[in-house]
Amino acid sequence: MAIPAGPWLEYEGGTLARQQVGLWRDGLRRLRRNRLALAAVVYLGLLACVCVVSLFWTPYNPNLVGACPTYALPGTPGHPLGCDDLGRDLISRLMVGSQVSLAVGLITAAIVVVLGVSVGLLIGYVRGVVDAAFALVINVFYGVPPLMIAIVLYVLLGPGLINIIIAIAASSWMDMARLVRGQTMSIREREFIEAARAGGARTGKILFGHIFPNALGPIIVQTTYVVPAAILTSAFFSFLGFGVPAPQADWGGMASEGFSPLLAGFDPYILLWPAIALSVTLLAFNFFGDGLRDAFDPRQRR
Amino acid sequence: MTRGTLIYIVQRLAIIVLTLLVVSFVVFVVVHALPGNAFISQRVHGRSLQLLLHEYGLDQPVLIQYWNFLKGAIHGDLGVSLYIRGEQVTPLVLRELSVSCELGGAALIVTIGLGMTFGVLAAIRQNTWVDYLLTTLAVVGYTVPSFVIAGLGIMIFANFLGSVTGGAIAYSPVWTGTYGTIGELWLPALSIGLYTSGQITRITRASMLEVIQQDYIRTARAKGLREWVVTLRHALRNALVPVISILGTTVVGILVGVLVIENIFGIPGLGKEFVESILQHDYNVTVGVFTIFALLIGLSNLAVDLIYTVVDPRIRY
Amino acid sequence: MTRSVSDPVLEVRGLSTSFFTDDGEVKAVRDVSFDLAAGETLGIVGESGCGKSVTALSILGLVARPGRVVAGEILFKGRDLLSIGREELRQIRGRDIAMIFQDPLSSLNPVHRIGAQIEEAMRAHDKIAPREVRPRGLDLLRQVHVPDSARRVRDYPHQFSGGMRQRVMIAMGLSNRPEILIADEPTTALDVTVQAQILQLLRDLNRDLGTSIILITHNLGVVAGLCKRVIVMYAGEIVEEGSTEQIFDSPQHPYTWSLLRSLPRVDADRHERLRSIEGLPPDLIAPPQGCKFNPRCPFRLERCFSEDPELEPVGDGHIAACWVTMKRAYAEMGAGSLVDTGPGAASGVRPPIAPVGPDLSEPEGQGLAPEAHDRD
Repeated sequence: MAIPAGPWLEYEGGTLARQQVGLWRDGLRRLRRNRLALAAVVYLGLLACVCVVSLFWTPYNPNLVGACPTYALPGTPGHPLGCDDLGRDLISRLMVGSQVSLAVGLITAAIVVVLGVSVGLLIGYVRGVVDAAFALVINVFYGVPPLMIAIVLYVLLGPGLINIIIAIAASSWMDMARLVRGQTMSIREREFIEAARAGGARTGKILFGHIFPNALGPIIVQTTYVVPAAILTSAFFSFLGFGVPAPQADWGGMASEGFSPLLAGFDPYILLWPAIALSVTLLAFNFFGDGLRDAFDPRQRR
Repeated sequence: MTRGTLIYIVQRLAIIVLTLLVVSFVVFVVVHALPGNAFISQRVHGRSLQLLLHEYGLDQPVLIQYWNFLKGAIHGDLGVSLYIRGEQVTPLVLRELSVSCELGGAALIVTIGLGMTFGVLAAIRQNTWVDYLLTTLAVVGYTVPSFVIAGLGIMIFANFLGSVTGGAIAYSPVWTGTYGTIGELWLPALSIGLYTSGQITRITRASMLEVIQQDYIRTARAKGLREWVVTLRHALRNALVPVISILGTTVVGILVGVLVIENIFGIPGLGKEFVESILQHDYNVTVGVFTIFALLIGLSNLAVDLIYTVVDPRIRY
Repeated sequence: MTRSVSDPVLEVRGLSTSFFTDDGEVKAVRDVSFDLAAGETLGIVGESGCGKSVTALSILGLVARPGRVVAGEILFKGRDLLSIGREELRQIRGRDIAMIFQDPLSSLNPVHRIGAQIEEAMRAHDKIAPREVRPRGLDLLRQVHVPDSARRVRDYPHQFSGGMRQRVMIAMGLSNRPEILIADEPTTALDVTVQAQILQLLRDLNRDLGTSIILITHNLGVVAGLCKRVIVMYAGEIVEEGSTEQIFDSPQHPYTWSLLRSLPRVDADRHERLRSIEGLPPDLIAPPQGCKFNPRCPFRLERCFSEDPELEPVGDGHIAACWVTMKRAYAEMGAGSLVDTGPGAASGVRPPIAPVGPDLSEPEGQGLAPEAHDRD
């Protein structure tokens, strides 16, 4: 495959010129790559603003039935996104729905990080029987789809946002634990850990003072993927009817409500808005994660 | 197949059985601990409720109940349904399994077919618009929830196409029965498969790009082989190894997809049954569905490990 | 060799190959020209990164991205391999010009059987009749002395030892009875005893089948054992070319001389230490002005920093590109007695502009560091 003519032709020879080319081209590539990540950050910032605003103000009460005519089309005066089958204002519900998604995504990620990192550090460091027991637990957990585990747990715990978060976190912390365990096992063999141990450092100090900072890169990268995964799972939850209790709005549940009008041949917008919001948010988290991975994990860089 | 491989298979089967035992036990206990029971929604109260509980053995300690369940399960009897009283769970679950397998199988074909084709094309056209298009499609595929894709599909193929052609060419999102249902099957299968194929595309592309750099690809070219032979016989064959390693994850992804998508399209499979059985506290059905899912995952992981040895002769157990 | 050199089977004319990296254009091969006569054995030697492998890959059009042949002609029996179509080039690869590579483990496909890999080389071309392919595959393995070949064709590369793998590579290369066999460091990854066997094999093939061989290596000992003629490359250019005797007995380029001095010799004076060549090969993106060897050359002159020498005849069929050929060096600077081979040692010429590394610009000895001489 022929290489297209590029800026290198203008910079033939000369060490100084070469460095300039290198920097320039490198920077250009990084910019191009990170433009998506940048857009993702901007979007997520906007979403956070919408979320905060919706805590205090929405155009209409999102749960008010009959705020406008049922199935009011998008563009109806006062209701830019239209209304649902119960005559609730869709833009208000969409705004409020962001609360559930962000809460589930971020809090679940926080729990997963704390739980997964602690367990992973401990098991990777202690090994032995504990590790074998963990392997068994992991095997069982991986033997069934995590969504099923989460659903059963949620039904067991009873309805509520907190329980959704607990159920999702409980069914998704093993990936993080496994990652940290692997990192720990390789880092603990390095010389500086040996040195710290010889210096009389306590186990806790070695785990969190020495091993954890060295495993931070992969942990951060993994975390950025936990957030969209949790949001997706919660959307599946709501979609299957295990979501936050009505009338609280969330995107998965709104999409679910949009399906019956769609199947009945009505206009698709009730499904469309939450679907778009959900998809764009998930994409944004993923692009942000990819950008972070490029920054933190040099092996993955191309 | 060598002796070592046989021993390996036996070991793995033993682990699968162990996993099934643990999964069924945990699920059994948890399900029975769920608040309420199957008969409350059926408006059975008082004395008749006690009689019913006794009839189905639900008044016994959970461990005894599990032991009784296990005794039946060894003979392939998963007990009776509590919701549709008296209905045998095993034939019910098997019937639904055949439906789910049809959907899951179609989704697997979509996954591997689309995923590998896109991955190979993106790799051999690296940094061209083909590459950008396919990798973007892959990212969208594994980010956008499957029900959104299903919704878009229904919107386009059922509603829009239906109204444009006056109903002559339209997708009907109604399940009409097993087998011979390609007309109904492809949209659900695509909704599931687009998600999992995104992963396959990504890993196939990365793996191909790495393999193309290898010395043996240069050797193959130096032999004067045709380019498609180099790509398929030499590059893809080697690139398959990491792709196969995520097939286990893919199967889990497809099962999750089945769970969600069956509930959208009203396909009477295991996924739909799982959600209903939980809502109805139909314990034996829930445990049965769980056990079958665990069995499917265990067997497909074993199959993946065996496919490894076929694809890469260096791997032996 | 009775065949005349005037009838070359391969003519390389002004070949230049560059790699277009993010840091700039790496000129890996620059204006390289040579001929290969039918039945001839030609060695191309030089340090790693001197462009010898890239030259070989360029001949077969196998230079990988971001590399590309930027100029020149490669005439195989009068046809320019650089201007013919992809399909035509494919038909020549492996059929008329075959190539074997340095690391036989990574060069064989790990997931296919040895026999299949040899057979597919034949099936890709029309030279061998389809029904002869299988027996010929077995026959080839016997020819390259793979024991128990009938059983081993069904084995995979990882089940072979390094030497056996290289034999398989050679069998594969020979399968279509090519006119030219390019061997790129065929013995580097192998044990010394196995090296000798592989070289013997190549010698026999050249003698019995009349296959022309281009042997690419950094090891002058290997060249001496096989080749009639030698090309010495440095920094992407040919710096000297001549018969094996000429190169070994009277090298005319300081680089060749340095290479020979770095060879361990059985007959060497016990107290004489092996001299490695001082410094590193030059940066191919921004090579030094003038002669590319000037930062490392013990004989360099002022002129070497300003003008790049051309290849000039220095004997019968012997050419070299140097402002101070070794003949003069022997006469005027006493190359024979030169112990210190550091940059500019013989002529005492220091570069007009200090090169990057401080140790390169510092001419050693001359009382500046007496303890260096006291040691040993």
